[in-house]
Parts: sequence; C-alpha cells; structure tokens
Amino acid sequence: MMNHFMVLAVLLPLKTCYPTYTQQESLVFPVTYLNISKDLALQQLLVEWDVGKPAHDTELAMSFEIQVRRTGVTTATWTAFHNVTLDKSVKPLHWVWNSDLPLECMSHSVRIRSKAEASKIWSQWSSWKTVLGLDTSNNSGPQIFPNEKVIEEGSDITLCCIGRRGQIIKEFFLDSADHVFNHTNSQLGLLTVKNVAHQEVPHITVYCQESCSEAQCHDHAILFVGKQPDKPNDFSCQTQDMRTVTCTWSQGRETYLYGRHSPKYALFEEFSQKPVPCTVSCSKQCSCSWDRGKQRIWNITVTVENPLGKKTAMDNFDVTHRIYPAAPFQLWEESTDTKITLYWKQRNKGIELFCQAEVLQPDGKVELHNISDTYLHYPRITLSGLQPYTEYTARIRCGAAKHFWRWSEWSKARNIRTKEAPPSGKLDIWREITPVLGGRNVTLFWKQAPDFQANGRSISYEVTWKKVDDDAEAESISFSSVYNSTRISIDNHSYRISIKAKNDVNYSLPSVLIIPRSTGAEAEVSGSELKEEQVNGTDDGIFISWEPRHQYDSYVIDWCNYPMLQPCDLQWKRFGPNTSSALINSDAFVPGVRYNFHIYGSVANRASLLEKKTGYLRELPPLLDPIVEKVDLTFNAVTLSWDSYPTNESQYGFVKGYHVYVSPIEENCSLKGSRKHVLPDGSVLCKYTIENPEEKRYTVKNLLSNTKYKLVVKAYTGGGETPIGNFIYIDTPFNSNMLYLLVLLVIVPSLIAAICGLKLKRMKECCCPIIPSPNKSKVLSFKEFKTGPEKILKLHDCIPDMLAVDSNAKAQKLHPWSQLSSAATEDKIDVHNSSWIYSNENEEGDFTPTPTSSQTHAWFENFAYSSHLAVESDPYQRRETLDASRPELSLGLYHPHYYFDIFNEDAASTPRETAGRKGSLRYISQTAVHCLGRRL
Amino acid sequence: MRCPGPPLGVLAVVTKGLFILWAVPGQGGRPLQPPTLQQVQALVRHMAEDAQELFTFYEENQRLAIHNICRTNHPPEWLRGPVLGPRGLRGLQGTMASMSQALQVIIRHQQDLNPPGAEILRRLASTHLKVRGLLSNLQGLFPAPSSQPGHRPLPSPTAPTKVFRQKLEGCRILWSYARFMAKLNAQMENRSRRARRDKWRARRGSRLSTRS
Repeated sequence: MMNHFMVLAVLLPLKTCYPTYTQQESLVFPVTYLNISKDLALQQLLVEWDVGKPAHDTELAMSFEIQVRRTGVTTATWTAFHNVTLDKSVKPLHWVWNSDLPLECMSHSVRIRSKAEASKIWSQWSSWKTVLGLDTSNNSGPQIFPNEKVIEEGSDITLCCIGRRGQIIKEFFLDSADHVFNHTNSQLGLLTVKNVAHQEVPHITVYCQESCSEAQCHDHAILFVGKQPDKPNDFSCQTQDMRTVTCTWSQGRETYLYGRHSPKYALFEEFSQKPVPCTVSCSKQCSCSWDRGKQRIWNITVTVENPLGKKTAMDNFDVTHRIYPAAPFQLWEESTDTKITLYWKQRNKGIELFCQAEVLQPDGKVELHNISDTYLHYPRITLSGLQPYTEYTARIRCGAAKHFWRWSEWSKARNIRTKEAPPSGKLDIWREITPVLGGRNVTLFWKQAPDFQANGRSISYEVTWKKVDDDAEAESISFSSVYNSTRISIDNHSYRISIKAKNDVNYSLPSVLIIPRSTGAEAEVSGSELKEEQVNGTDDGIFISWEPRHQYDSYVIDWCNYPMLQPCDLQWKRFGPNTSSALINSDAFVPGVRYNFHIYGSVANRASLLEKKTGYLRELPPLLDPIVEKVDLTFNAVTLSWDSYPTNESQYGFVKGYHVYVSPIEENCSLKGSRKHVLPDGSVLCKYTIENPEEKRYTVKNLLSNTKYKLVVKAYTGGGETPIGNFIYIDTPFNSNMLYLLVLLVIVPSLIAAICGLKLKRMKECCCPIIPSPNKSKVLSFKEFKTGPEKILKLHDCIPDMLAVDSNAKAQKLHPWSQLSSAATEDKIDVHNSSWIYSNENEEGDFTPTPTSSQTHAWFENFAYSSHLAVESDPYQRRETLDASRPELSLGLYHPHYYFDIFNEDAASTPRETAGRKGSLRYISQTAVHCLGRRL
Repeated sequence: MRCPGPPLGVLAVVTKGLFILWAVPGQGGRPLQPPTLQQVQALVRHMAEDAQELFTFYEENQRLAIHNICRTNHPPEWLRGPVLGPRGLRGLQGTMASMSQALQVIIRHQQDLNPPGAEILRRLASTHLKVRGLLSNLQGLFPAPSSQPGHRPLPSPTAPTKVFRQKLEGCRILWSYARFMAKLNAQMENRSRRARRDKWRARRGSRLSTRS
C-alpha cells in the first residue's frame, strides 16, 4: 500500500510526460538493454538487462519474465520470473540460469519482458539474445562435453558430443554405466546417465565417433565419480611435550577420488586468522603437528575439500589441558620373594604426571596400582603381597596430574618373577594299611593341599617315620616331585609318620599321621564288623553322609577310583569337624561301577574307621539274567531256582529283587502276587515280583495241568532290568489225582463185581464142580496165534503184575505205575532228566539216540509219561550239559514224534529202536494205558 | 591327508624373483659387480615378457581395448628401431633412460586415477624397477661417460594434457615398449645363436687345420 502512495508521489510530477494516475495501471517499462554470456566452468548462463532510468528513479517494484530457449536437436524453452525493486543506482539487473546440459552443446537464447507490480500490463518481449554453442563452430573433430568432470555418486548427468559440420555422430557411449539415454544420428549426440554409480574402475570413459573412422573422427572423455568428503571425525588436538601441538582426526568414508581430486585438508587458526603451518599426513588417521610457540589458547578449524564439497570441524582448547604424555620407557625392577619395585623413565620433564601400573597375575587377574609421586628422578612403584617364585607382567602408563586429558600409551610390558621362598602350606597326606605277618604295610599318599605353594623351581618330598613309644632314630626317605606315594613296612607298634615338601630354599611344615598300635586282628583294619550302607548317586556325584561325632577334629573319606584294578587309585578328601555329608565326585566315576567309601574320624592325626558306604554313580540294569538251574514241575505248579546268581559288586547296580514272567495263566493275571505285563509286541505276561535279592527260588502256582507255558526270570536293580527274552518252556503233566479218581470210580467197582462173581462161581463149583477143558481156555488157546512151532501169548488177555524188560546190560524191572507216581510225588527232579525234556528245535536232528545207546537199552513207551518239559533257552548248551552230566540217561530222550506214531503202527520208534526192541523185549505189558494216555 | 603343493602362479613368481636376484647386480646383498652379457640377455628376455603382460593389463584396465587405439604404428621416436644399432647394446641406454622417465609420467597420471596400492600402480612400479635394473646393467657393462654419440635426447616434460589423452599416450608407449623389447629379445637371441654357431665353426675349423 505504501508503495502505491510512493508511486503516486513520483508519478504526479510526471503528469505532463505520462498519463495520469488513472492511467498508471497501464504503464510499462520495457527492457532497454539485454546481454547474455556463459560461464563454462560453472555451466551457468549469465543474463544482464536493464529498464529505463525513470523506473530506477521511482524505485519501482517490478516483475520480469525471462525465457531461455535452447536450440539444437530439439527446441525447448524454460520460463522464470524475477521480482526486484529498482534503486536509483541505475545498475543493470542480473539473473543466472544453471544449465543441466553443457552450454557448449547448443546455442542458448534469452528474452525478457517486464511489468511494474502496480501495473497489469506486461511490456513487449525484448528481442532474443543468443550465445552460440560449439555446434555452430568449425571443429577439427568431434568434441565431448563435459570432459573430466567430477560427478557425485547418485546424481544425473547429460553429455553431448558435437560433430563436425556435415558429420553425423554414429556412436556415443560410456564404457561402464547403466541407465543411459542415447540420442545420435545428427551432428549432435546426447547421452544421459541417471543415478551415476561408482564402478570398479575409478573413472568412466566416454567414447564418441562420427560416421567416419579416421583418427580425427573420434573423441574420448573421462568422468570421475566420487563422493563428498565426510566431516573430519574425532577432531582433537593435544600436546605431548607442551612444545608441539598435534591435531588428529579420522577421514571418514572413501570418496573414490584420488590424486588431484582427493580430499585436501587445511587447518586454520581462528584467533590469529591464519592458516596453521603444518603438513597433513593421513594413513589410518590424519594428523598435523606444529610448534605452538607461546600461544596457549587455540581455536583450530580443519577443512576438508574435494571437487564435490567441503566440510569443517573445530576444536577450541587450552593446550595445558590437552597433555597426552609419551609412554613410559626403560622399565626395570628390584624384587624379593613377595615384593617388586618397578622403575621407569618418562620423557615429559617438568610435567606433573599421575601414573598407573597394571599387574597381570598368573591366574589372569589384572590389578591396577596408582602412583602419584612421579616427580622423582626415577619414578617407581612397589608392588607387595606377591607370591614367591611367581611370574607377573607389569606395564605403566601416565596422564597429566593436573587437568587430566588422557592416558599415555602403555609402556612395553615387563615380565618379572619374584624370588623363591620355603614351601608354604602343608601337604595333604593319607595312608592305606595292609596287615602282614608280624606287622603292617602302610602305603602313604600325599598331594598338595589347596593352600600349598611350592614357592620354588624344584620340589621334592621327604617321608619320615618312627615309633611313638620309642626313642629309636627315625627313618626317612626322599622322593622327587614326580612321586606321590610310597609303601613302608612297620611292625605292630604305634608309629608317627611325617611328610614334608622341600625346595631350594627350605622345607615346608610337616604333615603328620599316627598309625596306632595293632592288636593283630584283621577286623580292626578292615572294619569288617561295620555294616556297609548303600548310598545313591546323583548327576553331580555320589552323596555320602555320616553320623557326626564330637570327638573328631576332622573327617576323611577315601575311595578307589578304579575299584577293580590294583592299584586302584586311592583318593581321599578331608572335611572339617562340622561336616557330616559330602558329594563325592571324580572324573573317573562311571555308571555301573560300585564304589566303596570309607569314612574315618581323625583326632590328633589318628584316624579311625567310622562307617562304610557303597554306591553307584548311576545304577544300570544287571549284566546277566539269572540262569534257572532247577525246575520242579507238578501238574499245577513249577518251582524255579537260580541259586548261583551273584548279587555282589560285579553287578552294574544293587540287585533289588527278581521278576518272574510267565505266559498268562488267566487273562488278567488276577492271581495273588501276579501283575499283567505287556511286552512291546503286545503279548501279555504275568509278572511275579520277588523283592528279596537273596531269595533265589520261586514257585509259580495255579498252573493248568497238561498245558504249555513259557517263563523267564529277570533280576532288577535301581537301573531296571534287561529286555525280556530267553524264555524257558514247560509242559505241565496230566493231573494224577484224576487217575486215582478214575481208579476209584471204575476199577474198584469192577473188582468188587469180579470178586462177587468169583465167589458166586466158587460156590457154584463147590456145589457142582466143572471139569475144565484146556481147549476151551482162552488164555491157553493157541490156535489163533500159531506161527510155526511156537504158541504166541495174546497180550491183551493178560493183566500182568510185573513188567520185565531185558537188555544186554541188565534186565530192568519197571512197575507200570512206578514212574507215573514218581512224576507226581517226587520233589526234586533234575531238569536234565532226559525222559522229561525235549527241545522245540531240532528235535529229530539233535536228540536222535545214538546207535550205542539203542544197542544197550530197550525202549519202552509208557503212556503214563505224558508230562514233558521243554527248555527253550539254549539247545546247544543244554545238550552239552546232558551229554556231559548224565550220559546214561540219554536213552530216555523223549520224542513226541514216536509218541504219536505208537497209535498208528508198530513202528512206534525209529526203525533202529524198533529193531533193538525186537531183540530184547521179552514181555510187553498190555495194561490198558490207552485210556490213561492222551495226545498233546 | 595330502597337502596341496604350491600353486603354479606362486612358483612362477618365486622363480622370477630368484631370477631377478641373479640378473640384476647388487640385488640380494651381493657386492655390485659388472654384469655378464648372459645376465643382460636373461633380463631382457624376462622384461620382454613383462612388457607384454603390462600392456595387456593396462589396455584392459583402462578400457582402451576398443578399436585397438593403443596399438599404434607410430611409436615415440626413442622407441623406434633399429633396436640394436651399430652401437649394439650400448645404444640401449638412452632408450631405457627415456622409458624410465615415461614410466614415471604414466605412474603419476595413474596415481590421479587409482587408489594407492592399486594393481595397475603395482605393475607399473615393477616394470619401472626392471627398466632401471637394465639401465644399471648397461651402465655396468659400458661404464663410459654418459654423453655418447647417438644418445637421443630425453623427452621434455609434457604440458598438462587431458586425462584421456594421457591414458592413451601411456598405453601407446607401453605398446611400443612391448614391441621394442620383443624385437630386442629376438635380436639378442639371434646374435647369441649366431655367436655360438661361429664359435663352434671356428673350433671345428681349428681342429681340421690341426689334423691336416
């Protein structure tokens, strides 16, 4: 608004020359002067113009519309507006246009028109002013623009190749760049690259060729692709000696620009407004050093610049607060067995320093010691409380005591060993006493207790023993460091044994053991009257506890790492008087091995056995199954025994009892003591549990007669039992009680009837006797059996009292019921009794009687012997046992095959047996055993 | 388990290193002694191979393999023949001095284009060392004053030229140098063969004359 009034004020006096204010809206001030030029370095078009002096005089606010036209392959026009308030200086106006295409490539023209802001009317356009491109000039060959330009990675660039007049650009390309827009086939080639990326090669080569092929038809250009430099990182300045100031910084990212395009650093001091006289050197870090003179306060600016950009960093500091001392040097020391005094030199004379010593202990721990009195000629530190004959590593660093800035570098580390001292602490000693004739053998063991320190290069041990009640001279013997045990022989007197360690300086304190007087009884040494208690293992070891006794000042537990070996690697562990339990572990402990622990109470170096423990780290299933040695079988029960099964330390765990598995008697195993057990294959067994490991006999009752069963005995430990297998097979015999019942029900009434009939007949004979006719006698009637001169007795008409079997060796008398009854009543029947055993496998092959046995024995198939025992376990082993132990019984091997055949034909046995039988059988009972026998 | 033997490339490098120790006097701590002609010949043979390898690498590395623009038939004057002129090996000193200077220029240009330690810089430096080694050998063989008749003037420092022009010039120099060294090696081999043959003939002739 104010401007409007001013314009009015200016225009009023001009009323005579210009239209009135009402006409001002239509006033124009056309461009009176226009000139354009180009800055090729900056690729800028510089426009200069002016309007008439009156406009300046009135300080008019004006708008200018500027048009730029590029003339070449295509014509394009850009429009810009420029607002300015004129002043009275009458200076021309300026405007700059940045070209995205090299200005050399084409001609550029500019025109301008103007308008007073108060006016609504634009002036006429000025005429076009042109700066020519090189496309209009006479070149000696094609030319590429730009050339050797540094481009920022990620930017876009347009290049042109200007051919000679009349020539066409045939090829125009880059050797390594993507996203290229290419335009050729005229005098001017254009090429645009978007998002220029840094390639393997640090620069890009551009090729241009006209349609000819001579040397002058080519041109090449180079483009450098890089990055702006990063701001110098961690820029800081310091001094080591108060004379020279050094500034350091890190360079930052790679710029990919090298040589003359690489980043250039310059330091500038702001207070003095002068460049810092130093030379920058960069490797991992950049640094620049100069003599500080007397200046204390500095304000330093570091500038890094490359063709793509410029960055700065500053540091304002008081040089006395920036002391970075040089590293201490020339360390040396004086040492005793527990102290080291460390000396060093430092370059920073006149600067009060605060130093620090780092001591590396042998166990890897690091200790820092501060030293403040470093004004001494030779600064030093004394490190005390050190271990004798131990190597320490020490190093020193320092910082300014006042205005601490930073630590110096560490000095070179120095390895220092303290002097030797007598061994400290005691040896931990123990013994094992073995009674021998007239005395005892004592094996002594020693090891370094946790608090023991050898304190020297070499160590040896000295063992001394003497009688307690005697003034006799002590005996002693020395051992080198590789020994940790020895054996001495002593009589039954009480002895005092001491063991000491010795190094080059002196002995350690002795460790003492008193071996009490012996009465000669073995029990006092072995503690056999003590009951051995079982203990449990855990993942972390075997837990031992004992009853605390107030009279002892310590407890000792000893055990063997390898109980089955000799020597068994005796170990021991000491505990204080208030301890009553311990977790014993050893790398040697393995599952399945029984370890025995002895707990001793010790008072005044005398040890007494208190308790004995035994246990496993982890119990495993038994190594072997019980071998069933005897089987007693009745028609409804079977008794198994495995007396020889061991339950001692040879087992992989404590045998806690046995399981007897039997094929089901009833579906649900509901009988007393029986539980159902399902095998992985789904079959069911009845399981009987015996919880006493010493009970090695079990009777399975309630079996069914005349039935086949399989059974197995398994031992179990805390680790379980082995998989079920290796069954024994049995066949229960026929129930003989049924026979008695049959006898009672059938035969006795028959006898009674017969007797009654006989009595009746006798009465009849008495009253009216009949003279018997031999020809009518059935028994003595041989007419039906005459086979020559002999008469044959028909057996089924005979009821024999006794059966006689003749053999070559001797005749045997067998009562037809005798063996039957024995089968039912005899308690102990050897499972190897061959007449009762058969195998499920290889029946014919394995148990065919030998010719020898068939020659010496007659076979008699007694149908009452219908009970059979089959042992499945190991037919080879079983047979071997049979042959070896009872060879005379091999004749009795029973073959079901023969048994079956006896009903079919007279060849009830093998032909060989039949032949044998023909020769030896004199009388064969026809006792009606058919009704007693049964088929299986 | 079998241990793999050293790669062939490593063996070749080691062999070359040992060879240079032998061929270049004063290397490996030995006292400086005048080289033998055999040593010079062996060094030339090695440098001929090296020059060809350097050119091939440079041409590829600098993307100048297009249109064979490096393989000019117009070598710089100091690399033109005759390779072994009437002055024989003595005339090589000027060529090697010029080549040493040209390599320095090429190295300087390449330092503007490559990061320190770049392969091209390493190879150029290695070749430069060999050129200086041969020059030193020749000076050992012919310890006459340096101003000799027929000595060509060294190229004057060139005015700053465009980067591509510098690359191309360097490439052309390396191409001409490779060809020059190949010719030199061939000529020396021929001379050596001829000398052996002449020697053998002379010995044979003297024997025949002795018998007759």
